[in-house]
Amino acid sequence: MFETRTRLARVGLTALLAVMVIPFAVPLFTMVQGSLQGRGWANYRTVIELEGFWLYFRNSIVISLATITIVYFLTMAASFGFSKLRIRSKELYFWLMMGALTMPEVVLLTPLVITASKTGMAGTFWAVIIPLVALQIPFTTLLTRSYVDGIPDALFEAARIDGAGSWRQFWYVLVPLAKPMAVAIVVLVLINSWNSYLLPLVLLGQAHGHMVVTQLPNSFKTQYTDDQTKILAGAVLAALPEIIAYISLQRHFERGMAAGAIK
Amino acid sequence: MAASVTASPNSPLVRPAPVKSGGGASRGRHHPTSPGLGWILPGFVVAVGLIYFCIGYLGYISLLPWDWRPRRPATIEGLDSYVRAFDSPLFWTSLKHTLVFFIAAFVVQCIMGIIFAAILHSKVYAGTLFKVLIFVPVVIAPAIMSPVHRRVFAVDGPINWILQHLGMIQVSGTGNRDWTGWISWLLTHIGMGNVTPNWIQPSTSLWVIIAVQIWSSIGMAFILFYAAMGQIDPEVLEAARIDGAGGIRMLVSVVVPHMKPTIVALAILNAITALKLFDFPYLVTAGGPAHSSEFLGTYIYAQLFGVSSHYGYAATLSILLLILALGVSIMMSVSTREVKPGHKAKGVRV
Repeated sequence: MFETRTRLARVGLTALLAVMVIPFAVPLFTMVQGSLQGRGWANYRTVIELEGFWLYFRNSIVISLATITIVYFLTMAASFGFSKLRIRSKELYFWLMMGALTMPEVVLLTPLVITASKTGMAGTFWAVIIPLVALQIPFTTLLTRSYVDGIPDALFEAARIDGAGSWRQFWYVLVPLAKPMAVAIVVLVLINSWNSYLLPLVLLGQAHGHMVVTQLPNSFKTQYTDDQTKILAGAVLAALPEIIAYISLQRHFERGMAAGAIK
Repeated sequence: MAASVTASPNSPLVRPAPVKSGGGASRGRHHPTSPGLGWILPGFVVAVGLIYFCIGYLGYISLLPWDWRPRRPATIEGLDSYVRAFDSPLFWTSLKHTLVFFIAAFVVQCIMGIIFAAILHSKVYAGTLFKVLIFVPVVIAPAIMSPVHRRVFAVDGPINWILQHLGMIQVSGTGNRDWTGWISWLLTHIGMGNVTPNWIQPSTSLWVIIAVQIWSSIGMAFILFYAAMGQIDPEVLEAARIDGAGGIRMLVSVVVPHMKPTIVALAILNAITALKLFDFPYLVTAGGPAHSSEFLGTYIYAQLFGVSSHYGYAATLSILLLILALGVSIMMSVSTREVKPGHKAKGVRV
């Protein structure tokens, strides 16, 4: 965009950029530096030796994996139906679904809390997974449907002529062709479920072993009476998987999340 | 009920009309049974079923007494708690905060996002490193970063450390921070005399939340602008350059007009974010002090799990929030339809 013909101009522009990203680096630097204050690396050992430390991660992994799997299959199936199959008044179904597109999760909180405790689901993973899935599906379906609309009908037709029923068309035509969309869905749902805080907090509870990774840093606020160094060490450990995942799959993350932002 | 379209029973696909185009708008007459329904049903039931059930339930609870809570007798009181919400200054304060938050975050994201995208589209050193640094905040959970942000804005935190070393803050013997002479003179004269470098306080806590949100969302704006800029025809840029446009002139007159669809998308995205906002205000400032950073999300949460729970009132506030979100949703579908033709499925062609 800006011309940098001389090396000096290039260095100058890079320097300007470096100054501009300082605000981005400050919290990250603070996080690491603060976590090493006082007893240094021993802060990390205290956090890791916290009873049930791995449960935070296990719970988040279970919730994220289940949410991703369910959202993926339901979205693919629904997009197949909406885009390629003949269903009576399907646009009505579609718009009913799109009505839920921008639902803030806090809106669902009151009925979910009451229903979860009435049905005895409070404290189980399903109490978190089902609302997470419900909140993702309208959006992923909107994205995927428009993607599947772009796949020529002729491909499905050819498969049908070769004797493939709708199951086989789904598995051998749609699923492979929609693979790029799958990456976007996985990234989007992974971020939204791994980063979710409110739903697990309220529906999974704050009992020991029932917490997820986003609650890890703050759990030291009560246990160690606001011990900043442990809180920050906890934040580093909780953020690490995401940072590693992002850096190793940089392009997929950027594209997946951009797909999620625009539509 | 006449099945005029001959579709084989195990294939829900429409028999091929010789030439076909476009997606799945209904062609021909409807088949009496809908063989494809099974495909959309699971997703439909989970999403629409759960969400619409919740909304219906919510509507019912909102008509109960405002301080109703589970295991209390439920008597329909009508719209009392709606009146209560509209009479409540806190409701309007939360709305005002949402609006301020939306405008500030949106404007800063657009400006910074475009600048970052333009610089990184130029030749700079270590571009990938900068890209990662700008985007990492988008990926990390707000709840995980919240304690860090509390630390960043603490009285003895890094922000004040930087300001102190820039000579803008002095530290008294008791550890209190205050502005040095000229800053405090300046602030008093622009009517911000109540702002002291003690950030989580009524006059500044809302801006702390806004700053924190901007920190965690510029990366998203940057990626969107970066992708949009990559789609500008290089010949357009070349023509502008030949006409003698400099870097900044080109950015303002050529690039920014091309960014319109992205700016619209960002506006919608930010409106939704502002309405959904919970993690940052709850964990960084707890909506306070004195409700100075209260948002609808934290307000509803406090009604449910605060000192005493008011489920009826929480449901009413939720319904009002829902109406706002629905408004955004409608705007979203209208604007994407307008934007679509030229920029078909932008960012989706992954």
